[in-house]
Amino acid sequence: MNRSTLLRGLGLAVLLAVAVATPFLLDPRGYAIRVVCLALLFAAMAQCWNIVAGLANQVSLGHAAFFGIGAYTSTLLLIHFGLSPWLGMLVGAVLGGIAAFLISLPTMRLKGHYFALATLAFGEVMRVIANSWSGLTGGPVGISVPFAPPSFAMMQFKETRPYYWLMLAALVVVTLVFVAIRRSKLGYRLRAIKENADAAEVIGVDTTRTKITAAVISGMLTACLGTLYAQFQFFFDPDTVFGVASISVRMAMIAIVGGIGTAAGPILGAFFVIPLEEFANDLFSSRAAGLSQLVFGVLLIGVILIEPRGFMALGSRIRRLFGKGGRP
Amino acid sequence: MSQPLLQVSDISKRFGGLRALSGVSLTVAAGEIVGLIGPNGAGKTTLFSTLVGLHRPDSGAIRLNGKDLVGLKPHRIAAAGMVKTFQNVALFLDFSVLDNVLTGGLLHLSVTEARDLARRCLEQVGIAGIADKLARDLSFPERARVEVARALCTQPKVLLLDEAMAALNHVEMDAFIALLRQLRGEGLTLVIVEHHMRAIMSLCDRIVVLNFGQLIATGTPAEVSRDPAVIQAYLGSSAA
Repeated sequence: MNRSTLLRGLGLAVLLAVAVATPFLLDPRGYAIRVVCLALLFAAMAQCWNIVAGLANQVSLGHAAFFGIGAYTSTLLLIHFGLSPWLGMLVGAVLGGIAAFLISLPTMRLKGHYFALATLAFGEVMRVIANSWSGLTGGPVGISVPFAPPSFAMMQFKETRPYYWLMLAALVVVTLVFVAIRRSKLGYRLRAIKENADAAEVIGVDTTRTKITAAVISGMLTACLGTLYAQFQFFFDPDTVFGVASISVRMAMIAIVGGIGTAAGPILGAFFVIPLEEFANDLFSSRAAGLSQLVFGVLLIGVILIEPRGFMALGSRIRRLFGKGGRP
Repeated sequence: MSQPLLQVSDISKRFGGLRALSGVSLTVAAGEIVGLIGPNGAGKTTLFSTLVGLHRPDSGAIRLNGKDLVGLKPHRIAAAGMVKTFQNVALFLDFSVLDNVLTGGLLHLSVTEARDLARRCLEQVGIAGIADKLARDLSFPERARVEVARALCTQPKVLLLDEAMAALNHVEMDAFIALLRQLRGEGLTLVIVEHHMRAIMSLCDRIVVLNFGQLIATGTPAEVSRDPAVIQAYLGSSAA
């Protein structure tokens, strides 16, 4: 191991220690810790999205479908069978994987905007189904997670701190999965498809199978995060968990703002986008309806205009400016 | 002669009103170097693309070691042992040279094994020194070599080279010709499309000539260069 990897490992360890200790600095019943929890969760979601979109450049705008499947599956199993959300999460992951497989079969041959629109439609179909199938989901009224005595086994806690660590653990796991995939055969193949699909096929990459495999992994992990969200919020409705703007686009946007295809990108993106959104809401929503979204939108457009490849590319641009030769 | 390694029987391919290939048949024996020549638009690249499964022929059969390849996707044909390089060179531009070649090796090997084989392939092609460079920073001749190395890393039986020598100078071309001879010596079978007649004439055991999608001649370099039909195709009817 050379010095730079050692330093990097040390830096990551310090960062993780700080992240684990952070809740002790925040008011455990306060607002800030909830925002940080959401930022961690959305970082993990954007990381899931990054597996397919970042590596293979198949930009999905329908990931809310898997997220919502995860949220509803564990919650319904808890309501009707008293099943622990941990087990519900596994069932949700399986269903999310199946959904990803089924939607991938017809759409994976599509590229660019066509793929984005097809997945967008899929997410919307799931939202409409959840809204109209009131017998199962409770419909537009929404659904509440039944209270259980707080315990790890039921994934319910009195305070916000355990949720924070739960979200942090989820982010770490998903990020490790992303890094492992990127270094594996699957990762090389996904990136080869992004670079040149025909050339990849000709040298032996099964492009369809590769993309479907990545989509299934991504869909399963996203569904798991849906369960965490349900347990954290205690209440949700179809428009929140299956929403285009609230989930699908936000996942994509966070990864793009941070740096698509990089492991740190979704994390940077989430810790920029989510607090910014909350801040804009807090500051402007009382003055005029829609003003907060406007401010939020303008700031995002500004970031994308300055560096379309996200913060990660901005970082290496700054390093090069100071003569430290980072690669673009 | 025993059963040929590659047997192409009567394949045709039509794009709308254009007959790109009509009834082309040819055989390639194991260990042979076959040159594929013909004027621009004769169908050479289309034939290559059809052989590796990027196009599906309208009719005819393609057999590798007796196995029918028609209708198989390119990755299946690569797994069966036939790979081509692209006329315009199709590298993964944001990959390092090593990662480009390594990706070819993943067809049969793990990432670590593929990395080792990729280093050997780069050495073989004579570009081990640029392994860590980004593909997009390379010159055209370097890119062409990387693509050959990437194809070799899939461990093919038959390698189809589509104008891999296009941008080489004389010295580079001689080195490349020597490389192809060496590869053949190691058991590889080669079909090459080339406009450099010097390379074709000195390298190939046999030459196949296409014109307007049809096979018009086949034979040794000496035979083909005397063939009236070939001279007419290249130089026009008054020269024949």
